[in-house]
Amino acid sequence: MIQQPTAQPIDSRAPNEQTTPAEPAVESVGVGHAVAIAIRGLTVSYGQTPVLRSVSVDMPSGRLIGVVGPNGAGKSTLLKAVLGLITPESGSIQIFSEPLESYRQRIAYVPQTEAVDWDFPVSVMDVVLMGRYGQLGWFGRPKATDRDIAREALTMVGMNDFASRHIRQLSGGQQQRIFLARALCQQADILLLDEPFAGVDAATEQAIFDLIARLTGEGKTLVVVNHDLSVLDRFDYVLLINQQVVAFGPTSDVVNDRNLRRTYGGRLTLLDRADAVLRDNRGDS
Amino acid sequence: MPLLATLELDWSQWSVPFTHQWWQETTCSVLVGVACSVLGCYVVLRRMALIGDALSHAVLPGVVIAFLITGNTGIGGLFLGALIAGLVTAGLIKLVSSFSRAKDDSAIGIVFTAFFAIGIILISALPRGTHFDLKCFLFGDPLAVGRDDLIMMSIVAPAVIAIVIMLYHPLKLASFDPVVATTMGVSVAGLHYLLMGMLSATVVAGLRTTGVILVVAMVITPASAAYQLCNRLAPMLILSGVFGAVSAAAGMSVAFITNSPTGPAMVLVATILFGLTMLLSPEHGLMFRALKKRRVRRHIEGEDVLKAIFRFSEDGEVCGAEQLAAKTGLAARCVISHLRSLTGERFVTVPRGIIELTAVGRERAVGLVRAHRLWESYLADEAGIDHDAIHDAAERLEHAHELADEVDKKLGHPTRDPHGTVIPEA
Repeated sequence: MIQQPTAQPIDSRAPNEQTTPAEPAVESVGVGHAVAIAIRGLTVSYGQTPVLRSVSVDMPSGRLIGVVGPNGAGKSTLLKAVLGLITPESGSIQIFSEPLESYRQRIAYVPQTEAVDWDFPVSVMDVVLMGRYGQLGWFGRPKATDRDIAREALTMVGMNDFASRHIRQLSGGQQQRIFLARALCQQADILLLDEPFAGVDAATEQAIFDLIARLTGEGKTLVVVNHDLSVLDRFDYVLLINQQVVAFGPTSDVVNDRNLRRTYGGRLTLLDRADAVLRDNRGDS
Repeated sequence: MPLLATLELDWSQWSVPFTHQWWQETTCSVLVGVACSVLGCYVVLRRMALIGDALSHAVLPGVVIAFLITGNTGIGGLFLGALIAGLVTAGLIKLVSSFSRAKDDSAIGIVFTAFFAIGIILISALPRGTHFDLKCFLFGDPLAVGRDDLIMMSIVAPAVIAIVIMLYHPLKLASFDPVVATTMGVSVAGLHYLLMGMLSATVVAGLRTTGVILVVAMVITPASAAYQLCNRLAPMLILSGVFGAVSAAAGMSVAFITNSPTGPAMVLVATILFGLTMLLSPEHGLMFRALKKRRVRRHIEGEDVLKAIFRFSEDGEVCGAEQLAAKTGLAARCVISHLRSLTGERFVTVPRGIIELTAVGRERAVGLVRAHRLWESYLADEAGIDHDAIHDAAERLEHAHELADEVDKKLGHPTRDPHGTVIPEA
């Protein structure tokens, strides 16, 4: 499962933006980058089972951040908490130093493609246009400018020829691309992507990475949940997570054998056992 | 059946076509049909068919309590009672499924049966002499449709349609991808309860025309029929509404002609419409799938005949339909029909009764032979299949001749097939 981390990470961004190793390796943010997502003491449980334990991270803006960990490490849960889809047990999340509510329209979410029914009676264009709905309000209708934005987004993901197709006719990689196009349509500052490379062919993976690099170049913050270690060196920052933060920082500082072993090697068994004991003591198993 | 007896009893009302009563009820049924089936699209797409059934049953206690309070079966009171009961049901279902281990479908079952049971107990506890006919509620009673119902429905149906049009986009997003809708700030729960409320309001009017048990058919069946035919939401909504209206109007007419109960007649018309779409839908219909299969089969047979003619001409033999039939294993009648279409496609000419390939036909036949031999090579070399078995497999694969060039490239342009025969150039 664990791969040898590459000694010299390849940075996909423009040279002038490269993180130099000389930069002080502060727990979180490099110099000159505002904090996009500030997570403080975030604890989330499903029922009695804790999924995230006291997670605190400052994610810098304008960077490509990979969230990496084994299954059940709470990666998707972290995204959902940032999006306000689940209420945490404790802790706080701020987006550009403001509460989520005032920033909702500037965060776009790209869910896993299995999340929806691909037999729903809509065209590719319809789905991409949905990215504009947040701006439309209750009774609004998409206008010509919205269509232009959607068309542009489709072109960016290379799916313009598919605009009038029914979504049933798409492959897994194409589904991922139109979800990405929908998020682009939201013209958000922060994009959260949940496993965008799952079930995707090599060409689409490359296309998605190219697009992501372009977006970070435009100063957008991208948080990508991923369990595939082979693409780790593509990220600017990596958050290694397994229920709690194992390490967070620039990829070259954080990705090493020791940290990966800590992320993937076994759970926090003592804490889990403590929870079980507490449950039994309370009598509600 | 007592209901039929009631109809028999009031035969005088039905003996005159297009009486005032008939118009009143047909209009009301059509309005109910349209509203039910438009909302039904969302019910079907959001996989809430069971909720539709639940709402129709669960409005019973609401209706009875309204009856107890107002003392009559006036539509206004019943409407309000049903609306409240429907929304409480929808809320309780959410509550049960989030705070117990019961899954959604079980939660729905638990809540609506409980409501229905409460309704029945309330009815049995009604003071003696009060007129509340449970049967009429269960099966619908066309004669109970009055002017008030018609007025109520002429408000509810257009309101439902107006709301669906106004909220078309948020409803579409919330139904397709509720999670992303939430992240965009769309009130998914609000839209859910709005749909439930509209459904309860429509269903209570439907109770008069089709009854509790069958009203769900007016919600699900026309929408499912429209879903068979449409790949976009707006056309689906419109078509579903049309199906609902047609089912209601046709059902009323059939019931009138055959003197049968109206609710079941409407439901059966809707079911027949659905059955027709199952057969005839261009994309999903059974008939078109069968036709397509037949077309593919005929195409393959035609190519086989063409290849057989080519083989005979290579050997310098003259062939007739019988020889071709023997070679291809098709019936002579079938071969003649294929010869006719091959002639039509200008692959074959029959001057002076001798079957000959045209230049185009020869090219096509060579292409098939080439594809056959390339596929044989592929099966032997790449797939490692026995030489004895490759011929039959290649007989099938050769019809995928558009892939021949790719196979050729993959194999590095072989010149001979595994049997040692020359592979012709493209």
